[in-house]
Amino acid sequence: MKLDHSLVTRRIFLNTLFGGWIAAVASGVLWALLKFAFPTLGKEPDFVILRKTDFEGIPPNSVKPFAWGGKLGLYFKKENGTVQALKGVCTHMECNVTYKPDEKKFYCACHKGWFDENGRNIGGPPPKPLEVFDITVEGDKLIIAKKGVKVELPKA
Amino acid sequence: MSCRRLKDWFGERYDIEGLGSLARSKTVPSHRFDAWYFAGGLTLFLFVFQFITGMALALYYVPHAEHAHKSIIDIVTKLNMGWLFRSLHHWGAQLAILVLFVHVFSALLLKAYRKPRELVWLTGFVMLAVSIFFGLSGYFLLWDERAFAAVRVATGGAGNLPLVGWLIKGFLRGGLDVTGETLTRFYAFHVSILPLVTIAVTGLHILLVQLHGMSVPLSQEEKQGRPKPFFPNLFYKDLIVWLVCLGVVVTLAVLLPPEIGRKADPLAPAPENIKPEWYFLFLFQTLKLFPGEILGMNGETIAIVIISAAILFFFLIPFFDRRSATGRKSPLFTWIGVFYLVYFAVMTVIGFLT
Repeated sequence: MKLDHSLVTRRIFLNTLFGGWIAAVASGVLWALLKFAFPTLGKEPDFVILRKTDFEGIPPNSVKPFAWGGKLGLYFKKENGTVQALKGVCTHMECNVTYKPDEKKFYCACHKGWFDENGRNIGGPPPKPLEVFDITVEGDKLIIAKKGVKVELPKA
Repeated sequence: MSCRRLKDWFGERYDIEGLGSLARSKTVPSHRFDAWYFAGGLTLFLFVFQFITGMALALYYVPHAEHAHKSIIDIVTKLNMGWLFRSLHHWGAQLAILVLFVHVFSALLLKAYRKPRELVWLTGFVMLAVSIFFGLSGYFLLWDERAFAAVRVATGGAGNLPLVGWLIKGFLRGGLDVTGETLTRFYAFHVSILPLVTIAVTGLHILLVQLHGMSVPLSQEEKQGRPKPFFPNLFYKDLIVWLVCLGVVVTLAVLLPPEIGRKADPLAPAPENIKPEWYFLFLFQTLKLFPGEILGMNGETIAIVIISAAILFFFLIPFFDRRSATGRKSPLFTWIGVFYLVYFAVMTVIGFLT
């Protein structure tokens, strides 16, 4: 049925009304559902604080793991006694690397990637070097921080 | 109440006779390649098998990072028949995916996807993707070192997709990293979301097959024998195949129970000689072909884009193969099908041996 001066029939008007109503409700429901299902990602820490005594004493040419957020961090003492902190996560596919003291290299078992003592990618598929962190010592605290991040500790 | 009266009771309310004659009128074509039809029924059987063994395991499995690994060890060591059900579910999954690949590749090479069966192909492909995700999520529920590294690589790989990668990765992981939250999520996928999708999509797939009837390969259209009735001829043959398959699954499950590695530790190095499940090996090998950097771009991203494009082409193949859609021979697409099959087989074997 169509009124004399109307542009649309009553049927088209009602279909549009109900169709629009359903589309509006459905998109609202979908939006809420997606918002709920998609997690808050959070971010990697800018720095972590460790106890100096736990790490200082490790023998040369060895590593000790620490938690860098949910990822692996490696506190690494080279043969000559200098220390370094790296993210122990392969830059290829995010597997955890392991240190091979005999060869003085880091190795990723997932796709056979190699990194040298300084974390440079020297073999296999990894496209980038391992991330190296800054180490600062404050009293009995060992502060491992992302390169270039200024750490401000809360005053105790 | 006697059987006769029960039948009458239903007959007075529902059209039982009509259903019976519908079943009796179902026939299956008969030709040189008709043995490949069994792969579809066998896949269905294995899916039902996985549903049943999975429901049994879900009675005891604890989906929490602290307890998951231990609960599986308890299932196989302390529970009556626990070792058997875990082993059956493992081997049932392996065979389901194997048979599914056989089913997909036979449909590809016999061009069963051609008009008017495009939707049968599309729903079947969705089931292949769902099954692989079933495999990955189920495998992760072990919460051992190997599963942990595998899921990091798989979700990280998805993260290499341009534009939407980070979204998919975050959605799958339930956060920035693979953690206990990922376990909760994968459990939800494995026992709730994917099974429901499976029932819906497989239901549609089977319904469409009933509507269209079985596809006859182009080369066999002139050489067919008389179609055979499904009930009881083919149905009994299906039962024989299922029974043999059940025997194979039980034998494998008893003789080769699957291992479980050390409990996952986010700070432990990836275990030596780690390899993905066999149905990921072709991807794994393909990724190895690409160097870390190509012309200043990330090699992984390029690899993932090429692989995604190849998979998308595979998915949409009914719409690219214009010749077979009009009933003409289409040798180009036979070769493309052979290429996909050979690539998959060769890369899987290389991955297995190295």
